Amino acid sequence: MEILDKLKILADSAKYDASCSSSGSNRKNKNNGIGNGNISGICHSWGADGRCISLLKILFSNACMYDCKYCINRCTNPVRRATFTPQEVADLTINFYKRNYIEGLFLSSAVIKSPDYTMELLIQAVSILRNEYNFNGYIHCKTIPGCSKELIDTLGALVDRLSINIELPSNDSLKLLAPQKEKTGILEPMTYVSNGIKRNKTEKSKFKPSFVPAGQTTQLIVGATPESDLKILKLSEGLYQKLSLKRVYYSAYVSINQDKNLPTLEAPPLLRENRLYQADWLLRYYGFQADELLNENHPNFNHILDPKCDWALRNLDKFPVEINMADYFTLLRIPGIGVISAKKIIRARREFLLDFESLKKLGVVLKRAKYFITCKGKYFDKVYKFNQNFIETNLITQERNALPLPQYQQLSIFDTLQPTKEDKIKCLTGSL
Amino acid sequence: MSNWKLINKTYLYDGSLDGFLTIVFDCYSTKTLPQKILVKTDYTPNFLDNIVSIQTDPEKAERVFTGIEKNIGYITLNNTYYAFLCNEKDKEICLLKYLCDGFDYGPKINNRLTISYVFQVMAMKKRAFGECHRLKGLLRFQEVANNLYYASLHPDNNIIEPLAHHFINRLPTQNFIIHDKTRNICLLYNGKEYQIMDATNLKIPNISETEQKYQELWKLFFKTISISERKNPRCQMQYMPKKYWKDLIEEP
Repeated sequence: MEILDKLKILADSAKYDASCSSSGSNRKNKNNGIGNGNISGICHSWGADGRCISLLKILFSNACMYDCKYCINRCTNPVRRATFTPQEVADLTINFYKRNYIEGLFLSSAVIKSPDYTMELLIQAVSILRNEYNFNGYIHCKTIPGCSKELIDTLGALVDRLSINIELPSNDSLKLLAPQKEKTGILEPMTYVSNGIKRNKTEKSKFKPSFVPAGQTTQLIVGATPESDLKILKLSEGLYQKLSLKRVYYSAYVSINQDKNLPTLEAPPLLRENRLYQADWLLRYYGFQADELLNENHPNFNHILDPKCDWALRNLDKFPVEINMADYFTLLRIPGIGVISAKKIIRARREFLLDFESLKKLGVVLKRAKYFITCKGKYFDKVYKFNQNFIETNLITQERNALPLPQYQQLSIFDTLQPTKEDKIKCLTGSL
Repeated sequence: MSNWKLINKTYLYDGSLDGFLTIVFDCYSTKTLPQKILVKTDYTPNFLDNIVSIQTDPEKAERVFTGIEKNIGYITLNNTYYAFLCNEKDKEICLLKYLCDGFDYGPKINNRLTISYVFQVMAMKKRAFGECHRLKGLLRFQEVANNLYYASLHPDNNIIEPLAHHFINRLPTQNFIIHDKTRNICLLYNGKEYQIMDATNLKIPNISETEQKYQELWKLFFKTISISERKNPRCQMQYMPKKYWKDLIEEP
């Protein structure tokens, strides 16, 4: 099979993986080799779906032995199958990298023969890159569920980031849609990698080998199973706290397969995915807890307002916040103020007291923030009232323009006047 | 800086960073602020202007350069370097005020964001630095001869020097040419050192068959990797503005 065909099949199979970041690794270029890591990550292009293309995202093979209902590569699907050789993967990566198309390689694979056999193939491809080509760019690899620990150690020493996808956010869903996979088969290697990273961090030796320097990630599918946002967010929170994951990716479910256990969605639930990402950021950078954002009576996110606005409206007793006095984490809780704005405010107010004009000068966006702050003890304007009803109505009218419009239809007076069967017969007989 | 004398003069300099730092030296030592600072080649004579031509003095420039890092801090030097690469019209006056104020206040100057010229310097730095970072990703090399790679660009800001440093660190053994088509200058790197020169006489040979093959592969990968159910051209254009498309290999 031509390399062009293989790339088409195996990139097509890899595209449903959301992760494509190249950040977190600071690998240096050694001995005049090829490439280095960039700590903030670099995006090289953006696809027609608006997602960034930073890594050469391919599967090693799509000839899978499993039959997970949601997956395009399940063994019962009639798709074309292909498998790279390790040399082909390495050559493709190096030549794309030299032309600055990509930041590195994201190698995943379907399970061929056995998890260990698949892992060995991935290790072969990556070690050609690292050892023969002296490639120091970014490599992200998948851990294959159920593989042996020695192989994780070998792969972890070569790559920058490892990931293993949970995909289905609960045990029941896993049983329903991926009957051959087990929860422990996913969580065990994840815990093992996470412990390995922790051990490596405490190791003091200057010459210690690296082990997954850019950390570990995972992905959850949103909308294929009936879990609430609360349940998904709680799971992410646990993953961040217990397994110190770098990122949890959320992937809106795209109906690719037909199955009695799968929902048929007209469009992927993109808004829900977006709300989950917003909440995810609140957990990681803003000091929020999952319980604050959602609770049993309120298990899903608001469609119109973002999670932070929604939280602020339910906790109006904590507002308005005085910009010149509040500490960093209180500033971060104001809707419309993010990490960059909060840091700027803290720096600038060391020199001058801030008012609304100077906030605008700093580049702080007041669209949402103005309802929740005071500057030098003053509220934004006399017209503005600090009560829930007023703020909520204003925020909702502001947001409405940014949201996708509901599909309206021109009504027709004839819609309700469909001819009945009797009418049609009258027509045929000529009496009407 | 509040008691400095504002003089009705237009300073002309050669457009280099050294030339600008010479002006900073002169202004700081005489405690005067000129009305305008312009580049010689861009200047159209006007008989109302009171012209002073500034001769670039590498020694003065060197003193200011080290002085900034020593007295106002590395961050200020970094801000100055990138802001100077920006294509903003009155960048020199803003930067001059920023630096002279900086010598009085020290590193704290970077906190005084509500002063308009400090904020403007930050905004200029952000623009140049941001474009440089974006082009680190969007630049595309083509192999034109054995181990010689060529890339053309149309950047808004004059950022090929910091951009080249990124690629020298990354691909130290690869010879390359980065061609800034907006300014018609190019940067040549031969595996050891680099040089920036005029690009009028630059001739680029045709690309080879192998190069063609990898371009095809990349175009195919680019098309295949996006999910058609999630099509979102607005989002794509926001991250990758159309002005950069003409230098890409892929067709977004």
